[in-house]
Amino acid sequence: MKKFLTNRDFILFAIIMIGLVAVGFANPLFVTPSSISDVLTDTSILIILALSQMIVILIRAIDLSVASNLALSGMLISLLSTVHPELPVYYFIALSCVIGTVLGVLNGVSIAILKVPFIVTTLGTLSIYRGLIYFVSDGKQVYSNEFSKDFLALIHYKFLSLSFLFWLAVAVFIIIYILLNHTRFGRNLYSLGGNPDAAKYIGINENKYIILAYSISGFFAGLCGYLWVARYSVASTQIAIGFELTVISACVVGGISVMGGVGTVLGCVLGALLIGLIRNALPAVDISQFWQLAISGAIILIAIIINTKTEQRKEKTIMVEN
Amino acid sequence: MKLELKNISKNFHGVKALQNVDFQLKDNSIHALLGENGAGKSTLVKILCGVYQPDSGSIHLNNQEQTISDPAISLSLGISAIHQESVMFDELTVTENIFIGNHLTKSNRLIDWTLMESKTKQLLEELEANIEPNEKIKDLSIAQRHIVQISRSLIHDADIVIMDEPTASLSQKEINELYTIIRNLKKQNKSIIFISHKLDEVMEVCDDFTVLRDGELIKSDIITNTDKDQLITHMAGREVNQIFPKNNVTIENEIFQVRDFYKKTQFKDINFNLRKKEILGFYGLVGSGRTEIMKSIFGITKPDEGDIHFKDQKINIAKPSDAINQGIVYLSEERQQLGMTGLMSVKDNINMAIMERNSQFYIMDTLKEIKNASAMQEKLNIKVSYWSQLTQSLSGGNQQKTVIAKWLSTKPEVLILDEPTKGIDVRSKSAVHEFMGELVGEGMSIIMISSELPEILGMCDRVVVMYKGLIKEILNVKNASSEQIVKLASGES
Amino acid sequence: MSMIPEKPPFKLLDILYKKEFILFVVLVSILIINSNISPYFLDLYNLIDSTFLFSEKAIIALTMTFVIIARQIDLSVASIIAVSSCVLGYTTSLGYDTWLVISLTLLSGGICGAFNGAIITKFAIPSIIVTIGTMSLFRGLAYSFLEDSYYNKFPKLVSNLGGGYLFGYIPYAFLTFIILAIIFAFILHKTSVGKKIYSIGNNPDAAQYTGIAVDKYTFVLFTLNGLFSALAAIFLSGRLSSVRPNIAFGWELEIITMVVLGGVYIYGGSGSILGVVISIFILGMLSFGLGLLNVPGVGIIIFTGLLLILSIGFPSFIQTLRRKNE
Repeated sequence: MKKFLTNRDFILFAIIMIGLVAVGFANPLFVTPSSISDVLTDTSILIILALSQMIVILIRAIDLSVASNLALSGMLISLLSTVHPELPVYYFIALSCVIGTVLGVLNGVSIAILKVPFIVTTLGTLSIYRGLIYFVSDGKQVYSNEFSKDFLALIHYKFLSLSFLFWLAVAVFIIIYILLNHTRFGRNLYSLGGNPDAAKYIGINENKYIILAYSISGFFAGLCGYLWVARYSVASTQIAIGFELTVISACVVGGISVMGGVGTVLGCVLGALLIGLIRNALPAVDISQFWQLAISGAIILIAIIINTKTEQRKEKTIMVEN
Repeated sequence: MKLELKNISKNFHGVKALQNVDFQLKDNSIHALLGENGAGKSTLVKILCGVYQPDSGSIHLNNQEQTISDPAISLSLGISAIHQESVMFDELTVTENIFIGNHLTKSNRLIDWTLMESKTKQLLEELEANIEPNEKIKDLSIAQRHIVQISRSLIHDADIVIMDEPTASLSQKEINELYTIIRNLKKQNKSIIFISHKLDEVMEVCDDFTVLRDGELIKSDIITNTDKDQLITHMAGREVNQIFPKNNVTIENEIFQVRDFYKKTQFKDINFNLRKKEILGFYGLVGSGRTEIMKSIFGITKPDEGDIHFKDQKINIAKPSDAINQGIVYLSEERQQLGMTGLMSVKDNINMAIMERNSQFYIMDTLKEIKNASAMQEKLNIKVSYWSQLTQSLSGGNQQKTVIAKWLSTKPEVLILDEPTKGIDVRSKSAVHEFMGELVGEGMSIIMISSELPEILGMCDRVVVMYKGLIKEILNVKNASSEQIVKLASGES
Repeated sequence: MSMIPEKPPFKLLDILYKKEFILFVVLVSILIINSNISPYFLDLYNLIDSTFLFSEKAIIALTMTFVIIARQIDLSVASIIAVSSCVLGYTTSLGYDTWLVISLTLLSGGICGAFNGAIITKFAIPSIIVTIGTMSLFRGLAYSFLEDSYYNKFPKLVSNLGGGYLFGYIPYAFLTFIILAIIFAFILHKTSVGKKIYSIGNNPDAAQYTGIAVDKYTFVLFTLNGLFSALAAIFLSGRLSSVRPNIAFGWELEIITMVVLGGVYIYGGSGSILGVVISIFILGMLSFGLGLLNVPGVGIIIFTGLLLILSIGFPSFIQTLRRKNE
């Protein structure tokens, strides 16, 4: 239990709860079950992407291309669905994941094999993948009436009055939790990020892990490609533009250290929830949507400053206090 | 024979790190691998660990030829190394560090944390170590880290355990505990390669020895056939008394004083003075606070309390440039990380600290730069082909000379040297020593941190002995015995 | 005096391996291909006007070069443009004197940059993360200030600077870029300031131990980057004659591409102004040429991204192959 709920995660949880109560006082409608369920649904995609981004950040890298990847995968399956509406929905989901994974592998290969620094690679593919959307779609949008019924139905399925999206995010949370805490692969990610030189001595193949981490990030970006398109019933060149920054902020707020090897899965989810809460609560307390971006920015800054303050490794004690 | 290396050679960019070296490790034995820094010991270890591949030669394990193409293979062959620089994961727990790369799994392939934790607990109890399996490595002492590393090799069921200076920063009590563990390992049918600079302990613990010098095998035999003096001669390649040039200068008045230096958890009650033309040694275990004091003097960190007086005046050093302007410079132990800028030219490195003097209205004067670089090159005999050569491409000794040249360019009066001969070959080492003698002759005062007692005894006039952030005693080297200094440094008297 | 030469003996082959030379060859090829494909390309007026497409970004690319050589990165420049443009529009609407308007605009950029620099140095946080944060913060401030309105009135001088020509031929923005490029090249390659920036980028710890004020330099470089973003904002606002909060969206990536393609190592310590200038022309001429061929902007985006990755990936890939063969 102690391992599950570290101190930092607890504080984050408390902040979310206090925030919820505070917003509730200002606007009681916000804390009704249906409203909270909406917030959770709205935050689900962010949770999934933050969890997959966490894997990349753990090994001291960042994937800036996730939003472009998401948009490209989403557009490709949308275009396919306009031509072949008869195909079953799981086919589209699988295809979206496959496309996303391929795009992720390309990132990984560029970084691990071509040795292009991760910032340059993912900045580059951020443009390339986004540009390819215009290319395949001719700049046109795919509207809700062009999708098949099946394509959009799954997303509105509810269980225990919580949405499919929410349950999917829960499933991804459990999978990533097990992956990072209970498999050799996950633990090796932590060691690689914590001390790359030492990881070499214990026989961890850095290139393999880089490619795998980016593939996982790509896989979930692809999955979210379907989710995003189905949820908003539209595929366009503009979807999720800039969303990679929200994802990274969720990780940072969740205590995933950009210096690698530090961070918990629960913290990451809580970080995403806090960001989701803020995004949804601002309109509820009558703050103009135009303030949203500035406030998110301020929160990222505050979070990283607090992180660094607490994280800054204690100086080794030499002297016995006497 | 447990392990046999035949005719191993390894070159780095034309530098011969190992030349046709043979090495034999018997069953159930503790084998000392000896040599000066840069003799090729660590290259040999890295070949055994699979980090480097030999250019030629063969490795035989239990009389079977093996190729160790990467670290994972080395581990699976039962070779485990306890490194001097900690190859551990600070943010992970003791349990995880012990099982790292080899996590135990349940039948469903998920990690079996309970089993790993109980095994760790059992193992640590056997070693009589007072460490909790759940502690993070960053919270452990250096001795405790060693024990975790040893546990790691025990868990891996290693046949051959390589220990690279395991006692370098331990107190005498901790060292004795370590010896017990090492002897137990031997009883359990394991062979140990023991690297150490402390010849007393080599004579005490080891069964066999091999000496390397400049990448060549010098001597290999059983330990009872030799003695300390012979070993030193093998390692240095000359008579012992020739190593340190005696400097015959008359020491003058006090010019530099540190008063009541205190920094929380780092050091306390630090009072010492330095006289003109004196070499003052600082001796103590790694982590006894020596470097931390110098960093505070040089303005890298701020002490909580304390003053510095220089030439009868209290001076204020808030940042390194203040110290440099006063004529006080600090040459860091970490040459690659803190001393030089490898990807810039030798000329730039030599002139790095005197850019203001070499420029007018910020515009660099290349002629002045080359003039200074040439003067320094001549003085220190730096081997460089052309001025735009990258500093990285120089040998360790010439890199160190370049860093020294950088500091001498500032015309300092107090030179603080932190392990100035660490990791450089014997010849450059004595060049540095000789040069220190010359500098004090010219009127400079030197503070030298060193972990090598012979260096301290050979070069210094007085020595400050430190233990856990406190000055135990300041001794006149002429009247001090090495036993006395070692005892003080390990906190026993 | 010893007779150590400053440089190894001159070999013609060495030039061929220089990044700047390779970039130059690429630039010339683009010019040749473009002029063969489109007869309008080599038209002097067209060429001159094409500089409007990149001059503002190019100005920021110069300070960004300093920032990246010093082992930092600044993702917030485009958002600073948004803030400064708002300040420009707002102070104009208050009826302030032109010079006061311009000063306040520049000041706003400088303050944003100083804010970045202060957080990065004070708390020792990697600049990539800090500027991801301030990128949202600054852009968000512009949004919350302007909401869905816009500014379209600017002092005459500003409009003139943005869209005007010196002697009717040379666009002011381009001229400013060229003059600044020469000054920056001089500072970087000939002065102690430049040498210190290289030294910080190569090994910040060693630089600190050598008495170089690393934090001070970092702070000043970020402040300068903000200041020059504001300068670019003045040209851009004057040219567009309308400012919305989404102005210059995504520019940070294009600017970083200019710098990195120009051979500046993304982790600091090496690179030259000449390389960056050539790379700016490559990207400018490329998009101009593709534009003449009616290739839409996205084609250019894809091409730029590929160029960025391949320009670094290809040489390092060849190097790896060569090492394997040895």
